[in-house]
This record gives sequence, C-alpha cells and structure tokens, in this order.
Amino acid sequence: MKFGNLLKKELSELFTKQAIISMVFTMAILIFMGQFVGTAMEETFNTSTINISNMDNTEFTKTVLNKIEEDESLTINYVDITSEDYAAELERLDIKNLVIIPEGYADSILVEKKPAMIKFVSALNLGGFMSSLDGVASSEMIGHIENASTNEILLQEYGISYEDIERIKSPATSVEYTTNNGKTAQIASSSMTGMLMMQSFIAPMVIFILLLMAAQMIMTAISTEKIDKTLETLLSTPVSRMSVLGAKMVAAVLAALANAGFMMIGFIFYMQGMLGSAMDQINTAVDTAGLAEIAGEMNVSSLGDAMVTLGVTLSPLSYVLFGLQLFFTIAIGLSAALILGAMATDIKSIQTLIMPIMIAVMLPWVVTMFTDVNSLPALFRTVLYLIPFTHTYMALNNLMNGEMLIFWAGFVYQIIFLLVCMYLAIKIFTTDKLFTMSFNIGKKNQNRKTLAKKA
Amino acid sequence: MANILEVKELSKKYPKKEVYAVDSISFDIGEGEIFALIGPNGAGKTTTIRMISTLIKASGGDALVCGNSIVNDADKVRKCITYLPDEAGAYKTMSGIKYLEFMAGLFAKDYDESQVFVERAKSICGLEERLNEKIGSYSRGMIRKLLLARAVMNAPKLAIMDEATSGLDVINALEIRKMIKNLAKEQNMAFLLSSHNMLEIEYVSDRVGIITSGKLITVGRIDELKERYSAQNLEEVFETVVRENNIKSEE
Repeated sequence: MKFGNLLKKELSELFTKQAIISMVFTMAILIFMGQFVGTAMEETFNTSTINISNMDNTEFTKTVLNKIEEDESLTINYVDITSEDYAAELERLDIKNLVIIPEGYADSILVEKKPAMIKFVSALNLGGFMSSLDGVASSEMIGHIENASTNEILLQEYGISYEDIERIKSPATSVEYTTNNGKTAQIASSSMTGMLMMQSFIAPMVIFILLLMAAQMIMTAISTEKIDKTLETLLSTPVSRMSVLGAKMVAAVLAALANAGFMMIGFIFYMQGMLGSAMDQINTAVDTAGLAEIAGEMNVSSLGDAMVTLGVTLSPLSYVLFGLQLFFTIAIGLSAALILGAMATDIKSIQTLIMPIMIAVMLPWVVTMFTDVNSLPALFRTVLYLIPFTHTYMALNNLMNGEMLIFWAGFVYQIIFLLVCMYLAIKIFTTDKLFTMSFNIGKKNQNRKTLAKKA
Repeated sequence: MANILEVKELSKKYPKKEVYAVDSISFDIGEGEIFALIGPNGAGKTTTIRMISTLIKASGGDALVCGNSIVNDADKVRKCITYLPDEAGAYKTMSGIKYLEFMAGLFAKDYDESQVFVERAKSICGLEERLNEKIGSYSRGMIRKLLLARAVMNAPKLAIMDEATSGLDVINALEIRKMIKNLAKEQNMAFLLSSHNMLEIEYVSDRVGIITSGKLITVGRIDELKERYSAQNLEEVFETVVRENNIKSEE
C-alpha cells in the first residue's frame, strides 16, 4: 500500500497535464511532419502549373509550346501581361512565377539567326523549401522551351525528324545504381541521400528534445523535494529509502517509457508518411507512362523500392531495438538527473546542474548531424563514444546500415552506464550524502573571497 | 513517566570536518513531555534532530525511541515519530486534502485508519474549504498549519519539530503553541522542539536543553535553569550559558 501510495504521488508529479500535453504534442508533430513531407514529396511528382506569357505569339512559339504541352506532367497557364512592371504584373495576376517569351523570339532565331531571350520572373520566396518547388518547376520550363526550340529549328531548317533529333541528342541512356552494404539498387545516390539526410536529422532532434525534457523533469522533481524539505519529511516516515527511491525510479521509468512510446508511435507514422508517399509514387510511375519519364528524370521512380532493397528501412525488430535503446537512453538521463538533482541547494543551482547533461546530450547530436563519428580523430571519437547518448544518435544509421557490431557495443555500453548511474543513485539515497552533498562552486568562491578579505 | 526518547552519548562528525557537529550528548524525554533543544546557529540542533529522525547516521552513541535504536532499528523508530523540518514545504501541485491523504497513507495500517488521520488533521489545521485548493496557492502560514496538522494527525509517540511556528503571525503562533500543549496533555504525545524564540520555549516547554558547539551544556526545567544561572528569564539563561561556553572554548 505504501509503495503504491508513493508511486501514485511520483506519477502524479511526473504525469502532469503539461507533461502529457508535451508527449502528445511531440507525437503529433512527428505524425504531422511525416504526412507533410510525404504530401510535399508527392506534389513534386504531380503536375506543375507553369505561367507563361507568350508575347511573341508566332507559329514557331505556338508549335514549341504545343510540343511541351504533350508532356502530361506539365500544365501551362497562359497569361497576358500589359507592362514591364513585373512586380505589379505578378501581383495583378496573383502568381509567384512567370516565364515570358518576348516579342521577336522567333524572328531572332529564324531570321536574325541570333540567340533569343526568354525572361523568367519570380517573387522572392520566404515560405520555405516546399513552397519554392513551383519556382524550380518554372525555371526548368526555360530548359524545355530551349529544347523544343532546338528541335523545331532542326526540323524546319534541316529536315531532321523528332525521332532522329532525340537519337542525336541522347545517343546513350544513363542508368544510375547505388550500393549499400553489398546490396545494389537502381537509383541515383543523390535521391537516397536527400531522403536519408532528412531522416537522420529529424530523429536525433526528437531524441535531443525528449532527453532534455525528461532530465529536466526528474531533476526539478528531486531538487524541489530537497529544497522544499519534503524529502526530509518523506524519509522520516515509516517507509524505507529504497521504497522512496524505487517509486521515483519506477515512476521515472514509466514516464520515460511513455515518452519513448509516444515518440516511437510518432516516429513510425513519420517514417510511414515518408515511405508511403514514395511507395505510392512507384505505382503511379508504373501505371502512367507519361509520369514514368518524369519520374525517371528525377531519379525517384523507385525510391521506396530502393530503400527496401538497400536495407535502409527499419525492420520491426529494428524498431524494437531502437525503442529499447531509446528507453535505456532516457533511463540514463533520468538517473544522472536524479544524482545531479540531489546536489541542488536552491532553484538557481538546478540550472547549473543540468548543464553536464545538456552538454552530453547536445555535443553528440551536433557532431552526428554534421559528420560521421567514425571519421573523427581518435581522441574526439573516444570522447564521443564515452558519452552514452552518442550511441542512440548513431543507432538508426547503424541499424539501417547493418552495422550491428557497433550497435550492440553501444547498446551494452549504455546498459553498463545505466547500472553505474543507478548504483550511484542508490548510494546517494541510502547514505547521509543525500542531505550533506551539495553543489556550491559559487559559494566556495565567495567564501574564499571573504576569507581573503579578512586576511 | 516512561521515557519515549533516550539519547545516549550521541555524536556526529561529518567527513572532512575536524570538529564534531554533535559531541556525545545525552538527554531523555518522557511521555507527554515537551522538551526544547535550544542553541545558537550551527550549535548542532538540526544535526541532533536529523539523527533522531533517522535521516542521517550517528557517528557514535545511540538514541532509543520507544525502546528502538536509531542505529539498528531505524524502520521501527520511524513508526513512532513524525518530523517537521524548519521551513519545510509541501507538494505544490497537490491539494491540501490530497497531501494529507498521501501522508496519512504512509503511516496508517489500512484505508480506514488513514481516513481517521485525515479527519483529525482537517480539524486541527482549520483550513476547511481551502484544503481542496492546490498547496501552491497557500500562504506560508497556511502551509505551516497544514504541515503541523500532518505531523500530529497520527498521534505519534514523539513529534519532532524544528522551528514549529516559524513564518506564522502572532495569533497563529499562539494557536500552535496551545495546540502543542493540549496534544501533550490530552494525547500524551511527547514533543522535541527546536526554536530560537525564547518566549515560545518558555511558554510551551516542560524542560529545556541548551546546546552549543555540539555539546549539550545544560538540561533542566525552566525555573530550575533560571535559578541555576540567576536569570530573570530563559533568554538570560541562554546568553549566560553560551557566553560561558565561548570563554571556556577560547581558553
């Protein structure tokens, strides 16, 4: 009854409304991001609408544009502009980008035998990466116009058929392959890198937030108990210290599990959102001949397939292992926070005491985000490997790349580190240290200064 | 009158400190007796109280609470005592009633007994409807009343209170003092108090022990001490004892 009573109290302190909202919010953000990124990716495959003002309006430019329109993935929205005040024209037409074929385009090419000019106007985009896709598509339209113009010149002036033109221009077709851990997939490595980079950026960021949140939560809980002297009251009641510590640990572990669980659900949805859209595109690309060509050009027609082939997706077992590692990581963070929190003497010292955990969480996050830990000099590599959280940041890549030895080494190291932290926490809780140890660097310096003044 | 507390040559020396925080002190408290431990700051009052409350371990000696050793039977000791630390707080996110229920659950054998404790605490603290509000919204005085009620709700054999009325206004402090006297008289509860308020000690205590530099210099009834040190009141007794001890220490 007493342990249950203690556990209930600890849980009520950890599972506050704010904490539950944070957990649900984290999960919701992940689900949203997965859906958002997936939808945005899907949009890149879909038809783009390009605004064109054909001021030349000759048979030549009409033929060029008709040829371009044969590509079903491109939709041309013809607009008329009345002035060269492009800012005003974009605003009037309520568009962001515009391709202008000026008057005299055909004459310049066919009569004057000079390169013609095409204008491309776009509004400065501050709306993020995804909203800039339209601009990219419009700027690519210039390439299409140039290409179609070349074809028309060759046809009209030299009588070369479209088939011959294609053969002359593309005598060979390139097929790109990417390999990973002895597996090969027909995909451009740049396509894979983009997808994996996004994945290796989001997951560690969530781990970082989760760790700091959990550590801060338990540290505040324990230090507040010490500062408010509720801990003294609690430990003078007929309950054993191990029960008090046990209740705190179990509650912290449950909180960590709930956090990890919510995060994993969010993460699975995030991955499914991204992969799902890629998989859908394969079907679309296969079913629609027109889209297949575009998809081929973009090197993404087999992205989902390629991820599976190259083994850079997580198997159910990998999800479980990653979830377990995440749980150990949070448990380490909580134990360390418990030890440091016991040193707090006032609210201000909590902010200082969280620093070691913050550095240990942040350093490997930043490093793994920008580089491969294994490529670092031995000293830095060793320091990073000694930080238990590094192994969690590396876990996803290790699991995907089949680097199981490194994964298991990190896994075992984390378990050992957790046991040491728990031993220290028990040692502190069952001895006088709980009440006598304190973090008072500032005060020591103050005392030294006072003594020096007196001397 | 049987002894509830017997302190026998109790000592505490903290690591890396040259002197004893508490140096072989001995005293006892009988059933229903109110004993006050007074002394200047850093004299060793809180360390003594913490040892008796089983929060920290003694370096030497022992203390028996209801016949149970604080060294060997700490679990049994905690069943006989309640402890109210100086400037203690309570869980701010809990309501007053939830706090009482939680604490009662730690002392009671079963749910029914815990309800009896809670009802007693409710009548003692006098917070009535405010008990349903979060402790975070309480004034310092209200928190102290809640904690005092918590400390006596299970009618412990020995209630240990460090600065029982600190932070309370005159009226509330008077109420608390009366409450302590009544509980000692009617419930036969023993109290070990620590305070800097000599008026309070003089009003409420049966016996007083003066501790300074870790040593218990003198113990006795207040009238005995006044006579022994030719003093008008407890404040003068305190001053004389501390000054004499300081002179001895310097010699």
